Amino acid sequence: MAYRDFRDFLKTLENEGQLLNINEEVMPEPDLGSAARAISNLGDKTPALLFNRINGYHNARIAMNVIGSWPNHALMMGLPKNTPLKEQFFEFAKRYGQFPVPVQREETAPFQEVEITDDINLFDILPLFRLNQSDGGFYIDKAVVVSCDVEDPDHFGKQNVGIYRLQVKGKDRLGIQPVPQHDIAIHLRQAEERGENLKVAIALGNEPVITTVAATPLLYDQSEYEMAGAIQGEPYKIVKAKDTDLDLPWGAEVVLEGEIIAGEREFEGPFGEFTGHYSGGRSMPIIKINRVCHRKNPIFEYLYLGMPWTEIDYMMGLNTCVPLYQQLKEAFPNEIVAVNAMYTHGLLAIISTKSRYGGFAKAVGMRALTTPHGLGYCKMVIVVDEDVDPFNLPQVMWALSTKMHAKHDAVIIPDLSVLPLDPGSEPAGITHKMILDATTPTAPETRGHYSQPLDSPLETEKWEKILKVMLNK
Amino acid sequence: MKTCPRCESKKTETVSQSPVKGAWEVYLCPVCMFTWRSSEPESITNPEKYNKAFKVDPQDIPHAAKVPPVPEKRA
Ligand SMILES: [Zn+2]
Repeated sequence: MAYRDFRDFLKTLENEGQLLNINEEVMPEPDLGSAARAISNLGDKTPALLFNRINGYHNARIAMNVIGSWPNHALMMGLPKNTPLKEQFFEFAKRYGQFPVPVQREETAPFQEVEITDDINLFDILPLFRLNQSDGGFYIDKAVVVSCDVEDPDHFGKQNVGIYRLQVKGKDRLGIQPVPQHDIAIHLRQAEERGENLKVAIALGNEPVITTVAATPLLYDQSEYEMAGAIQGEPYKIVKAKDTDLDLPWGAEVVLEGEIIAGEREFEGPFGEFTGHYSGGRSMPIIKINRVCHRKNPIFEYLYLGMPWTEIDYMMGLNTCVPLYQQLKEAFPNEIVAVNAMYTHGLLAIISTKSRYGGFAKAVGMRALTTPHGLGYCKMVIVVDEDVDPFNLPQVMWALSTKMHAKHDAVIIPDLSVLPLDPGSEPAGITHKMILDATTPTAPETRGHYSQPLDSPLETEKWEKILKVMLNK
Repeated sequence: MKTCPRCESKKTETVSQSPVKGAWEVYLCPVCMFTWRSSEPESITNPEKYNKAFKVDPQDIPHAAKVPPVPEKRA
């Protein structure tokens, strides 16, 4: 069921009615960013957009919103496009449990068709554009960046495949934002401590599984390629870069090879982020590009991000929930029911759990804060009972409004770590965090009047089925 | 030579011209790294109309926080 490459997935989207071709000429600015913002405003079942005529270019094509809806997310996993969200969550969790699936190595790849090593000019090679009005430049925002552990370069799992914002800052220069909580920051630190440049390889225009996995908070030594194999249900195809031993997705449209220059920082941004705020005005590392490879007539891919929801929230929604769910289950295997950490990449998370005894839900909340992802996110954790669906926000609101007592159930822990992009953190990277226990008090905690919960009339489930059939006729 | 709409430096360079001749050019400011296309709206291209909240004072640039900080080289 795996998609061969980016084009194969676009074809599937088109066949499923989930791709909109835009054949009218559009301006790079402000049309591309505006259209991608607009499509996210139109609901959670929207199609991808493929722009086939862009002013000033002969034949550049740009795809956006490729994973920007729940049907497209389902198709990414090879599921029917109308698969309900909670089902997608449990299916993702099941496949996540199949990790690791060994990779399939290839000798050659389609992106090797065209190669440029002299007079590289990224502004000429890539159709670049400004996404949000006050972005400080043109960004590559949906490429996977590959780097390896400098101390342990042969450890396949420690090779990292991640998505980082890349500002094009010169004909062969990119700015990169390695957030301290992300794995590439570890590699860069190792290299800079040695005074060495960090080699990187960047792949643009990938099939959607590696993109999803690259945006998933895996453990440091877990291979994204072996996880991609688990998610797609067959070995993931990779190929070696030219200048380094780094592994690249076989199906990429464009590949950039280069190195992060040790010790150098340069003014970057701002860039409109997934927090719905700009971040920037800081000095960040620089990548010098030495080699560009691409397919003939490549299709370029970008994503829109801004005030949620936008494509990035679909891209890092369920894949943020599942690692948290698995790590919580390791601690409490019989209690954890489901985790919804889809809000701003898990800055807010909702956990559904059974309660063994009074105080248990608060312990679950504390554990979420100390998971690897929780160290940089989980600023607010809402814990609900096992019969509350954390993906059903009206039910979560019901739990908060009826089960919570502020005196007992709001726990604030001061001065914890958070990603510096959190606009509320002060100083950047430090914040108080809060657990809201919206579970029913359990003995020996006996407060409140919860002994008479309302149960549905006896034949409700039967009637739900009958009515569903009648409505679908 | 163009004036950078964001930091008003005069040192900007042309980094790209549209493949279809005459549609637009792309400029880059080597002081604040701002990049813009000649065909963008005036709120981007005109230094006087650029959003004041996002203007950059070149004197602030050397003081920008380094993220991540450069670690000490190990002996
Ligand atoms: Zn400038």
